[in-house]
Amino acid sequence: MILPRLALRNLLRQRRRTALTLMVVVAGFLALSLAGGFMAQTFQGLSDAAIRGGLGHLQVMPPGAMEGDEAQSLEKALPDGEALAARLRRDPAVAEVLPRSQFMGLLSSGAKSVAFLGTAVDPVLEPKYMACLDSLKDGAKASGGAGSRWLSPDPSAREVILGVGLAHSLGASVGSLLTLMSTTRDGALNAVDVEVVGLQDLGLRELNDRLLTVSLATANQLLDAGPARSRLSIVLKRPRDTAAEQTRIQALLPETSVKPWFELASFYRQVKLLYYAIFGFMGLVLFLVVLLATANTLLMSVMERVREFGVLRAMGLQPGQLLVLLQWEGAFLGLMGSALGLAATLLLRAGLNALHIQMPAPPGTSHGYELDIHFVPAVYLIVAIGIQATLQLSALFPGLKAARLRIVEALRHV
Amino acid sequence: MLQLCNLTRAYELGGERAGVFGVSLAVPKGSLAVLAGPSGSGKTTLLQLAGLLDVPDEGSILLDGQEVSNLPERERCDLRLRRLGFVFQAFNLVPVLSALENVMLPLQLQGVAEDEARRRAGAALDRVGLADRLHHRPGQLSGGQQQRAAIARALAPDPLLVLADEPTASLDHAHGGPLMDLMAELAAERGVTFLVASHDPAVIARANHVFRLADGRLIEEEHL
Repeated sequence: MILPRLALRNLLRQRRRTALTLMVVVAGFLALSLAGGFMAQTFQGLSDAAIRGGLGHLQVMPPGAMEGDEAQSLEKALPDGEALAARLRRDPAVAEVLPRSQFMGLLSSGAKSVAFLGTAVDPVLEPKYMACLDSLKDGAKASGGAGSRWLSPDPSAREVILGVGLAHSLGASVGSLLTLMSTTRDGALNAVDVEVVGLQDLGLRELNDRLLTVSLATANQLLDAGPARSRLSIVLKRPRDTAAEQTRIQALLPETSVKPWFELASFYRQVKLLYYAIFGFMGLVLFLVVLLATANTLLMSVMERVREFGVLRAMGLQPGQLLVLLQWEGAFLGLMGSALGLAATLLLRAGLNALHIQMPAPPGTSHGYELDIHFVPAVYLIVAIGIQATLQLSALFPGLKAARLRIVEALRHV
Repeated sequence: MLQLCNLTRAYELGGERAGVFGVSLAVPKGSLAVLAGPSGSGKTTLLQLAGLLDVPDEGSILLDGQEVSNLPERERCDLRLRRLGFVFQAFNLVPVLSALENVMLPLQLQGVAEDEARRRAGAALDRVGLADRLHHRPGQLSGGQQQRAAIARALAPDPLLVLADEPTASLDHAHGGPLMDLMAELAAERGVTFLVASHDPAVIARANHVFRLADGRLIEEEHL
């Protein structure tokens, strides 16, 4: 235990220099762990938005449904989607199955027509498992959105909920009467008159400008779809088992394609890749800063102790033990830096979250969000391991330099 | 105990050839031997060769009958740790350790348990008259006290041979003389061999064996 004790005493010998080096390590820890907490908030928000935005944990669709324009039509659909949904609801791992149909067409106010992307959902199940009421609440704040409500469970009701951009382009508001036009599965043109019962703000401008939601009953009348459904969104009882359940359910339904939400949420994947690139670069820069700062400190410390190292070597210390001594010094710097960095991170995180800072709307989205840096122990652990590895690396060169000193020259060093 | 046979170690110093050339000498066990001579005579070079801190170009070194001049570095380290002790002109105690910890250091490097190392280090410091300075750091000790602590550090592992390079050069006469008396006592008391490089007449006066060097060559031996 003499080498660790000696290493610790050596660090305390130059307290000011050690303190300055520790500040660099703490700053590196702080920046990386806060960025990690911010990334966790973003990923959590995006995954919730994707899952509760309609994808569910798993989606069952016909094979090849993701290829070509047919993705938005019933040409490729599960022929008896309702029966398949009923079968899946009996699976013990499944909490609920939400059938949905996707279609395209024109929405007309009489004076103006606009192309739309439509989603037909079960008006009873959807609000229980998806975030549709949240987007409706946001839509109610938009111009013409006052009095927004969800779709009626009455199968005879012909109602529609419009994206706020779509409503704006038609000059429609809650209570407006519009006509939905599309083609049936046979290719015939069909139309249904609907009443606007709500506006929805989906958070993405492109979706708000094109998307509308109707009940499956309304879509059936428009599309003559019968029991066919574009997709089935599966909500699992244990979301963490998504990957395993995807494999299992795919094996149960070989005639379909079963996809997990993270394969379908392209925005989530793109943002994740972007964040990894940005924060990866930031991490690399911080790694270099910490590496150079600590290597410089340890190297200066070695240069000041050349004679001392000569004495230790004369006393019988092996060259490898000098290397170990410097590794201990790096280890203590890393441990102290990570401990202080963790304390600083927790304090700053609590302070920033208490300020309820409103973040601006990310590119392509329509509203901002409140900063809430997540507490993610795994991130702190990864950052601490990274810092420790950096410190051990930074101690390597000074350690090698000390180990290679010639004793007689070191003893002459002034 | 220590035999140097035809030892040569040459190096360039200021464009001139320096070092030691063809030196042979023998130091009996338990003696206080002095390498005497003016600056540049090769005292320190010879001491470093005898202390296995440097490797001779030619010749051999026998320590307790064992040829040690061409051992690999790992074995040289081990020999220095277990069989040799060093005392330097500038004391060279580790400044961040107390006197006790400095003396414990070679014992702990040998793998002696901390309690045992503490006991032996305390006894060594007591023997050199520093029992009341155990927890003082080198900066809190006088030059004479630091050199006594350095002697305790050299002796604590029970070495065969202690090599001292100008041990009194940084001390005044009031401290240098008693220090040499201490070394002579310890040599007699413990059977430890001291090889001291010095040009101090007070040191030479206390030696059993004096080897006089000039220009890297042994020019005279006195056995008292």
